[in-house]
Amino acid sequence: MKPKLFIFLAAICLQVYAFAGPLNTIHSVPDGPSVNVHGRIVNENGDPVVASVTVKGTPAGTTSDVNGEFNLSNVADDATLVITATNINPVEVKVNGRTDILIKVSMNVNSLNDVVVVGYGSQRKSDLTGSLSRLKGEDLRLLPTQRVDQALQGRAPGVVVLNTDGSPGGNTVIRVRGTNSINGDNNALVVIDGLQGGNLNSLNPNDIASIEVLKDASATAIYGSQGANGVILITTKTGLIGKPVINYINDFSASKVRNFPDLMNVVDFAKETNKVRLAVNGGGTTPDPIFTDAQIDSFARVGGTDWIDAVYRTAITQNNQLSISGASEKISYLLSGAYLNQQGVLKNSAYKRYSLRANVKGEINNWVSFGFNFAWSRENANSALFGGAIDYPGNPIAGAIRFSPTIPVYDDAGNYSKAALRYANPTLWNPVASTLEPVINNNTFRTNINAFLDFKILEGLILRVSAGAILTNVNRYNFYNTKTYTGLSKNGSGTVYDENANYFQNSNILTYDKKIGRSRFTVTAVQEQKFTKTFYSTINASDFGDQDIGVFDLGGASLVTSNSDYSERVINSYLGRINYAYNDKYLFTASLRGDGSSVFGNDHKWGYFPSGSVAWRLSEEEFLKNTGIFSDLKIRASFGVTGNQAINPYQTLAHVSSGFTYPYFGTDETNLGFSITSTSNPKLKWEKTAQTNFGIDLSVLNGRLNLTADYYNKLTSDLLIPRELATYTGISSIIDNVGSIRNRGIELAISGDPYVRGNVSWNTSLVFSHNKGKVIEIGTSDRIPFTSGGFGGQGVQSPFMFLIPGQAYGQMIGFHYLGVWKEKEAAEAAAFGQLPGDPRYEDINGDGSIDLQDETVIGNSMPDFTFGWSNRITAGSFDVNFLITGSQGNDLFNVTRIALESPGGTGAALVHRYSPDNQDSDIPAIIDQQTRTNAGLASKVKIPGASGNRNSRWVEDGSYVRLKNITVGYNFPIHLIRKIHFNNARLYVTATNLITITKYTGQDPEVSSYTSNDAQLGSDFNNYPQVKTFNVGLNVSF
Amino acid sequence: MKQNIKLTNIVRYVMIILVVAAGSCKKLQEDPKSIITPDTYYNTIDQVQSALVAAQSHLWDQFKGYQEDMFLFNQDDQITRGNLEIPEDYASTIWAAHYAALLNINQAIASLNKGLTNTGQEQMDQVMAQAKFLRAFNYFMLVREFGGVPLLTDETPDLFGTPVARSSIEEVYAQIIADFTAAIGKLPVSYEDPDRGLPTRDAAKGLLAKAYLTMATYPLNKTEYYANAAQLAGEIIADGNYSLVPDIKDLFSAATKYGPEMMWSFNSNNVDLGPDPRLWSDMQGFGTICAEPAWEQAYPPSPRKDAFIETELDGVKYYDLGDYWPGVHKFQYDSPEDIASNRSIVNMPIIRFADVLLIFAEADNMANGSPTPAAVDALNKVIDRGNGYVPNTADPLATLSMSKEEFDTKVIEERNYELCFEMDRWFDLVRKRILEEKTLPDYVINFTEDDYLWPIPSVDVRVNKLEQNPGY
Repeated sequence: MKPKLFIFLAAICLQVYAFAGPLNTIHSVPDGPSVNVHGRIVNENGDPVVASVTVKGTPAGTTSDVNGEFNLSNVADDATLVITATNINPVEVKVNGRTDILIKVSMNVNSLNDVVVVGYGSQRKSDLTGSLSRLKGEDLRLLPTQRVDQALQGRAPGVVVLNTDGSPGGNTVIRVRGTNSINGDNNALVVIDGLQGGNLNSLNPNDIASIEVLKDASATAIYGSQGANGVILITTKTGLIGKPVINYINDFSASKVRNFPDLMNVVDFAKETNKVRLAVNGGGTTPDPIFTDAQIDSFARVGGTDWIDAVYRTAITQNNQLSISGASEKISYLLSGAYLNQQGVLKNSAYKRYSLRANVKGEINNWVSFGFNFAWSRENANSALFGGAIDYPGNPIAGAIRFSPTIPVYDDAGNYSKAALRYANPTLWNPVASTLEPVINNNTFRTNINAFLDFKILEGLILRVSAGAILTNVNRYNFYNTKTYTGLSKNGSGTVYDENANYFQNSNILTYDKKIGRSRFTVTAVQEQKFTKTFYSTINASDFGDQDIGVFDLGGASLVTSNSDYSERVINSYLGRINYAYNDKYLFTASLRGDGSSVFGNDHKWGYFPSGSVAWRLSEEEFLKNTGIFSDLKIRASFGVTGNQAINPYQTLAHVSSGFTYPYFGTDETNLGFSITSTSNPKLKWEKTAQTNFGIDLSVLNGRLNLTADYYNKLTSDLLIPRELATYTGISSIIDNVGSIRNRGIELAISGDPYVRGNVSWNTSLVFSHNKGKVIEIGTSDRIPFTSGGFGGQGVQSPFMFLIPGQAYGQMIGFHYLGVWKEKEAAEAAAFGQLPGDPRYEDINGDGSIDLQDETVIGNSMPDFTFGWSNRITAGSFDVNFLITGSQGNDLFNVTRIALESPGGTGAALVHRYSPDNQDSDIPAIIDQQTRTNAGLASKVKIPGASGNRNSRWVEDGSYVRLKNITVGYNFPIHLIRKIHFNNARLYVTATNLITITKYTGQDPEVSSYTSNDAQLGSDFNNYPQVKTFNVGLNVSF
Repeated sequence: MKQNIKLTNIVRYVMIILVVAAGSCKKLQEDPKSIITPDTYYNTIDQVQSALVAAQSHLWDQFKGYQEDMFLFNQDDQITRGNLEIPEDYASTIWAAHYAALLNINQAIASLNKGLTNTGQEQMDQVMAQAKFLRAFNYFMLVREFGGVPLLTDETPDLFGTPVARSSIEEVYAQIIADFTAAIGKLPVSYEDPDRGLPTRDAAKGLLAKAYLTMATYPLNKTEYYANAAQLAGEIIADGNYSLVPDIKDLFSAATKYGPEMMWSFNSNNVDLGPDPRLWSDMQGFGTICAEPAWEQAYPPSPRKDAFIETELDGVKYYDLGDYWPGVHKFQYDSPEDIASNRSIVNMPIIRFADVLLIFAEADNMANGSPTPAAVDALNKVIDRGNGYVPNTADPLATLSMSKEEFDTKVIEERNYELCFEMDRWFDLVRKRILEEKTLPDYVINFTEDDYLWPIPSVDVRVNKLEQNPGY
């Protein structure tokens, strides 16, 4: 806590101090004759600027291209060029006879005239009444990431991005303002160029012009039943007027696992194993140790097996991107292609992405224009399963840290060694086999097509007719041969899965802009229809005759079961919005959307989602305008209702389901059983989120210091959760609208240019998000449990994460572990039937025994706040960009550690376990059976076996501060690269996850092994470890 | 003029678009192609029978039903880990499995009562008899585990809307007797070779005999039913459709899965695998079913013991291995590959001929007040087979000179040895009220009379106000 606070304060102080610097200066040179001028316009960071260039006092002029370049012929040698654009401060430059001029401009930092993309339209940033965060493509370029979701991390207040594992093409959880739904999707709606339901992972970040995140109801209610989780609007790039620009990026990176748990060396492990063995001396027997002294001596000489080294590697990633863009007056285009080939640090894991994009926009005549976007991607991911996705014995991540170092990788016959029968965990599988043997291949093909026609019907009245489709094809296969844990019991087991999901969208958007006197208004009316159909089929096969051919010949499997499903979903919508501004001071927005969805019960097909918001630009009022303090000061308030369709098609109907096979007739074939699995509920309706938002936007010091702050309060009600039925009905629950959750939070964004002097500048921005989720109601049950502790053995079998009415979201419930009974506490321990060295739990109800009545809150998985601090320092041709992210106050349940630190485990901590000579330890002693029998105590610790590890011993503070990304770039001097006909060349090096400060003892604090429900976040169970990556890349355009 | 053309064009375009948009609006009514609803299903005999298949699948499947919940019986004296601390929701999963089965069985019976098109009466009678057999079996398990339970039949109205209270134990047994009796009237004596998993008339008789025997003991103690039990069991013995497998080692093998001793069982095959051949146990405690060392040591040495219990691992006795327990050997079918791969095609017997002999012996002795030659003969057949047909002083044959009580104790002990790990011992401890006597000394302190019934699932108590059993 303390060091993190310090960093915050330091950052703010530095910013304030650095504001002393002057604004930038403009070059000027003496007179000369008439000349042809070639110029290049760049901003403080040396980035090209598109601007209009006119010769003062003449009609002559042009526009700079995407590289900031322009050409003007026959300009008087003493002419003055005027450079203007909406996002820069206007500049005048004297030609003074020069033919090659570099013009530096300063960006109009608060960019009040910027146009931002909003739902079904765009707006001047100054006119916004809702809460919205924006990220420009430029930011993505300067801090390169391979994925868009990761690029959002730490950049937008209210947006929390959790990298839940480090696998190639790995998983992220993105939440905008907390978790609204228990069973529904909590992912924000992704809209790419107007097409709803896009996928972030398949996007090439270099194709992106801007990302807008809509957060409050005034911004999201326009998306009605899909808006409750926030909306991420992505606009892709298009060409700019000028000659074609070819851009090529080649990025090479190497990754290593960031951190491993501390493990014992082989000698300590052998001694530990003997210690465990010798304690089994009940009934007066004296067991033989597992390892003789000679064997241990031999281990000391030869060393043991380094399983970590056997399954991990340094992973290499190649990323190539090529794009061509350009535009004439009537048509603009962008074509791009990219190939990402990413190795995983776990052997036999990789991710490849191929992507293509074509964007075209043009004018057909003076009243019709068109646009067309085509994007195709293929993702290919493979990795052995990890975390909660696989039974622990076959989990290679678990095996690498838990398998006995006393055993070689291969046995004498050259086969994979098996776990020892008599010590450690005999069911654990050889991790090298678990890593190398599974054949896993996941392919996803996505095609996004989107086209629109714009009709300018009258001055200010535009009709946009758009149609789009997202065609997704998922093809997966896997095979586990008999050398794997999964495959052995089934004599080889494989799965083939195919899914086709086709989504169609038609939106007809009518927009009318009008200005009357001091009033400006925009009216938007939309009619929209969306249709999704999904078909999947899956084949599970086992008992394979040939383990080498495996899944490639399903005919070779003697047991085959298959399954398929088809579903349709229809949403018809009508919506309208009015934006009104009076005198640029008083701003109003109101919207209403009606959504009809097929998935809901007959009584509730239609839902209506209103919103309203107001804003007051105080800075435009005379009394403030004249002070000159504020470039902008705006206060905002909004309220609205959004929805979530948390259920799947056909869930309102009663079901008879297949899959209940049983050899009823007693034959070798099985018989197909069909069981009634649900009963109907025609009353099902939307989950509704009502959200209130108050915000302030502030800009001072000529836009060099900006602050945006928001407070929100969201209540999601009618939650679609299973309502318990008496189990004697034969059905445990029925989906119903019962329950509610509240989220309240504060968001803060501070940005500015603390230091701008000469060609050195520093741009910095800090975002801060605080969200507090609370469960209000969940129906008849007193709590909803979530299992997230792994499987059997040394995990946590019973649930430890719960949603409990009246309590915070993300509670962990269990026993309060107080460490180990010390010798001086022997009498107290004996009262509980325990000996010194035994674990000590808090007797919450004070009844003298530890049982299920002594459960208490042992942690919470949700952070108090998260933050991101991004910086850009430019000095001449060099720029340094870095991003620090962090999370504070969240707990992690370190399930992985249980196995490492239980008796017979491999964790180095065991060396320091409690003993009479080492009483300052939290790790219980190994107490031999004889000692226990002699003590003759009856244990009062009656924790059921399945709850055995459900205690606070494994709960750790998951707070961290991390240097997420640092990039140093060098822009080659223009005069040098001109000679080889390049316009721009940038060389950069990047380090990701370079420094992490945390008290968490697991592999990485950014982790969650269970992500299918947000209530399970915060459990660390043998997940694919996070990596530290170093990139070097070259970005050239010509 | 030009302006007019443009406007006309625009109007035309807009008209077309609006017409197209309105016309293409998809309906919001759902017309599912992939899912089946109860209203449209259960029209053919195969569909009705698929409900019965599902009913059994709820009770016996990998990680489901009794395959998963066999550990519930570890409160007996045979299986390790039971300590008579029975918590809330102890058996809620098996309760739910039984009622999921009953939902489908009652649906099948209702559909058959409505009548199916294109199906002969005899075929409908057959499936109806199977359905009633299954319903009786489910209630027979429930009533012994939980006492009086909600008695749902095909005639229960508004199952999901109107709460149903618990019936009395007598009412549940009345339904069991009615259903088994109906099944006995229609079920065939035997089946053609491939369909040997279906219930036979004698399987229904055997289970009904067991139900009568249970009614004659605790908690009902209606001793008049001993005679009914003896009569039914006697009929099975006299009819000779079933017999003991001569060699105890062959009792559980692929060849004897469906006879001559096995009468009805939970079935497994290579597609629907059974539990681990050691019943989820690797003798080290990661599994759930191991034998109590004290119980194993009291088991008289005999060929049967060797066939049923595993006491060695790699040639070393379990107690020399440290943290190991005796394992279950009887279901291993002598298939080492299956053991290595944790898979089996074990059938878990529900009623077998040895059980019928023991039911007869017990009921006949109790009905007559002393052992009859027929009762002694029935009991000795089981003992003799277990001893390999040679005298065994550790487990001697019964004699006519034994008193009623001595003979009864001998029968119960024999059931303990013969039917171990077959989900039978717990019910004997309950109906003979000998749980306290048989529990390990360490756990006797935890014993109360309330342990004879498992708790009603808390959700049923909470949501529909079912009366909870005492002590929970």
